[in-house]
Amino acid sequence: MKFDDKIPIYYQIKNYIYRQIITGKLVPGEKIPAVRQLAVDLTVNVNTVQRALGELISEGILESRRGLGNFVTEDQAIIDQMKHRLIIQQLHEMYMNLHNLNVTDDEIVQYLRQYIEDRRKHQDEQYS
Amino acid sequence: MNNTVEIEGLSYNKNYKHILENVNLKIEAGKTVGLLGENGAGKTTLMRLIAGLAKGAKGSIMVAGKQAVADKKANVSFSEQLDGFSSSTRIEKIISFYEDVYPDFSTERYNQIAGFLQIDEGQRLSELSKGMKEKLVIGLTLSRDTKVYLLDEPFGGIDSMSRKKIIQSIIQWKAPDAIILVSDHYVSEIASILDEVVIIKDKTIYTKKSTEEIRSQYAEGIEQYYESIYEGNDMND
Repeated sequence: MKFDDKIPIYYQIKNYIYRQIITGKLVPGEKIPAVRQLAVDLTVNVNTVQRALGELISEGILESRRGLGNFVTEDQAIIDQMKHRLIIQQLHEMYMNLHNLNVTDDEIVQYLRQYIEDRRKHQDEQYS
Repeated sequence: MNNTVEIEGLSYNKNYKHILENVNLKIEAGKTVGLLGENGAGKTTLMRLIAGLAKGAKGSIMVAGKQAVADKKANVSFSEQLDGFSSSTRIEKIISFYEDVYPDFSTERYNQIAGFLQIDEGQRLSELSKGMKEKLVIGLTLSRDTKVYLLDEPFGGIDSMSRKKIIQSIIQWKAPDAIILVSDHYVSEIASILDEVVIIKDKTIYTKKSTEEIRSQYAEGIEQYYESIYEGNDMND
């Protein structure tokens, strides 16, 4: 993956792992690669990976089992909460961007509905 | 003692010219640090001083708590450009030279790194491409078991695939408490593996900062931060 050099790398690694879990590339109970292996795969500093994993462990997303490694939590409630948080974060960003363009709340809802409808139509056309 | 490298009040002149003036620098065990600065800023000189290869400096340089030149040579692995070997030397001869000269050189580790970087040992020094020669230098440097590794501009003029492989081998084979100091005047491709950057400007250490702090405090890339420090400089040398 490619990192944005303007954003702390540990934060981007955390987001990368969140996404892997949400999209099912990492499943509950699965062991994640060792710290050094992750660092090599992502071409980042070992200390930075350690910091990201440390935070994921304290958030409960990962579980550290002594001598065995780090595993994705099997607690579905924690995963659901994380997904919810990410969705709110994305909506917040979109909302603020539109708000800064002087789009009203009602207009935002209207535009979003229209946008989704148009996308659906476009997809239907593609497959028909 | 947590600082593996401790430099205090270091000044160095060469041919009556000030190269470094009042350099103070502490590097903690385990850190990967980028040493940045323009060409001629004194990066290589500083590395040679830490390695115990340049003499006649004022001030003190401690490596792993010791100041004697012999201790520096034992504790520091410096990426030398193999200029001491004739161009017809076979690579396997260079490897056995390292085995003989450095008691801490691990042939096993060298073979692992050489396998990863796909170094071709059957050739002569003059037959190596620039990228292959740099891979060999990195392989030899990282195969010693030392406290400090100094990599002097390891990415000069080599293709991006070789660069990525070299960066990965640095991550893979760095011992947890070893320091890696890597110099470059082109930081963007190594920024993601650095804990800290040290910027040399006006013959001294202008600043030393954590890379993650630069990103979170200024929302700036490391390259951008580095350039902003050199901007407005009237380039009089």
